[in-house]
Amino acid sequence: MEQIFGQILLFITSFLAVYSVYLILTVSLNIQRGFAGIPQFGLVFPAAGAAYAVGNVSSRLALWILGIKTELDPIYESSGVIALINPILSSQPFLSIALFILCLIIGAIIGAVLGIIQVAPAIRLRIDYLAITLLAFGEIINVIARAYRPLIGGEYGVQVPSVFGWAGKNTIVAMTTAMFIVSLIVYAYAEYLGRTPMGRTMKAIRDNEVAAAALGKSLVKYRAIAIVIGSAFCGVAGVLWAFFNGSVMPGQFVRFNWTFLPWLMILLGGLGNNKGALVGATTFVALDRFITYYKHEFVGFLPFDVIWLYQILLGAITALILIYRPQGVLPERPYIPKDIRERVKSSLTSAS
Amino acid sequence: MQVAISVGTLIQALVWSSILSLTAIGITLLYRTTRVPNFAHASFVTTGIYASTIAWVFGFHPYLGIPLGFILGGSEAVLLFYMLEPLRRRKASIFLLMIATLSFDILMYGVLNVLADILQFEFKILSRNIYFAPIDFNIGGLQGVVLISFAALLVTMIALQLLLYRTNLGVALRACMENPSLAQTLGVNVSRMLLISWFIAGATAGVAGALLPFYQMCNVYTGTYYLAEMFCASIVGGLDHLIGAPIGSFLLGFAKILLLSSLASVIGPDVINYMLIIPLGIMVITLAALPTGLAPLIMRRRGV
Repeated sequence: MEQIFGQILLFITSFLAVYSVYLILTVSLNIQRGFAGIPQFGLVFPAAGAAYAVGNVSSRLALWILGIKTELDPIYESSGVIALINPILSSQPFLSIALFILCLIIGAIIGAVLGIIQVAPAIRLRIDYLAITLLAFGEIINVIARAYRPLIGGEYGVQVPSVFGWAGKNTIVAMTTAMFIVSLIVYAYAEYLGRTPMGRTMKAIRDNEVAAAALGKSLVKYRAIAIVIGSAFCGVAGVLWAFFNGSVMPGQFVRFNWTFLPWLMILLGGLGNNKGALVGATTFVALDRFITYYKHEFVGFLPFDVIWLYQILLGAITALILIYRPQGVLPERPYIPKDIRERVKSSLTSAS
Repeated sequence: MQVAISVGTLIQALVWSSILSLTAIGITLLYRTTRVPNFAHASFVTTGIYASTIAWVFGFHPYLGIPLGFILGGSEAVLLFYMLEPLRRRKASIFLLMIATLSFDILMYGVLNVLADILQFEFKILSRNIYFAPIDFNIGGLQGVVLISFAALLVTMIALQLLLYRTNLGVALRACMENPSLAQTLGVNVSRMLLISWFIAGATAGVAGALLPFYQMCNVYTGTYYLAEMFCASIVGGLDHLIGAPIGSFLLGFAKILLLSSLASVIGPDVINYMLIIPLGIMVITLAALPTGLAPLIMRRRGV
């Protein structure tokens, strides 16, 4: 019984962890592409950059916060340094959470800066060129992470402190709960943003640049805001993933998972609509987890690894959506603020 | 400090540039006809790699995989064309078309991995370490792939030139590139022209893929790994001119290999790890300074 319960718990935690990261990524993409119309094909760049930066500084920060002095190098001898940090951190819940939040903030700032850097040279370009340039940046960051060892120790990566070690047996549960809470905050913020004048201005620019500019809205300013917010969220997602895995390695941040999958999710759900992002992320992550958990059941039946069926299914589903339901499962509905709705209603009733 | 560039390095650069050109031609051609950057080019190339592997598994020389790569790559591209056709007819945005090529690529990545698994489990070969250079033939100390890759590029370029400028079909194809709706009004079957251009693009990528294992170790991810570089080559050359593809590829190919080998002799072999940054860097600079690529400059000088 306990074993079954443990398995269910493991499934739920791994589902929630992956789900939280993808929810943040799809919401970020929704702000950038769905609201502001930017073809953000480079989500991996701010996410990986933030994770690498936090991988680089998290142990140093922990050493500094806890006041530990050591001769060990936090990058090259990271397992030794972590062995010093983790036991002390596990007895200091408040300091651990402070470190976690500090790292999230660093990740968000680095993500936002990288987001602006990757778009700056290409913002003037045609959409297709911009998309390809963004794709190229995603490759560059991983090449640097692999080759430049002082960043995160090269191919082998670097360990990050366990900030939920104080929860003892429930470390993973605490970690995934924290991830889920962060993703819900991000989602709530995006939902709020869509209703604010700023969010509506972004959508106006996306729908008709000329009309928005004629009404005095700065195209560059609002696009830049969308990129800063979206990339900061990507940074947060990258940092969460790093803490969940307990380490940062270049192989974790590949284009397929960190750029293409969020695109497919958002297309399934419906662009320009946070609920669409939610539906897309839920469907894909559930599919992914079920296949990951049940793939060993297929061993012996098929002459190949069942994980490839997931890829085939993914490609086929997206193709079908694009052909038969390009607006997604939940198409965008225009948001009309409450006061305007009431004004329209009262004018209608007075007219009748 | 002396930087020595050996003949071997130059030959390496020539092979890589020729193979890259064969892939970039397809990207440029498709961009000219459908206006979409084709992400599925990666799987066309990987299909070529496994075409030569299949030829080898069935006891033929892997070079006999070239025609197989031509056919398989072309057929795959035709499949993608039929997937994109409803979107094109609906006048879907370039985004949706890009995502559609992407989803096809993911689908094919799965299919090719299934193929690789089957080759591994049923035929007992290391299907994720495909390398044919040791069984390549040798003429006067020159590896076969040098001659064959360059010849394949020459044949492709001449055939395309003849097709586009000497046949009625070519006139129709060029009309579709310039102005598809006008071409349609004049009775050109635009859909068929697109089908032909997709087949050519897939087939040339398939040939490039079939040659790749003679140059380096390949696996299912190889096509995807070089996708960014293929795009760089066709963008640096200029997406608006077919000749831009080989121009960009040779510039990038030679720049990458010569720069790397000279930097490696000065700084040390660690530099090799930064290999991908050179083409991507050149592309970012080109886009910032010369967004239309190099080909228009050359074409203007020639007065074409």
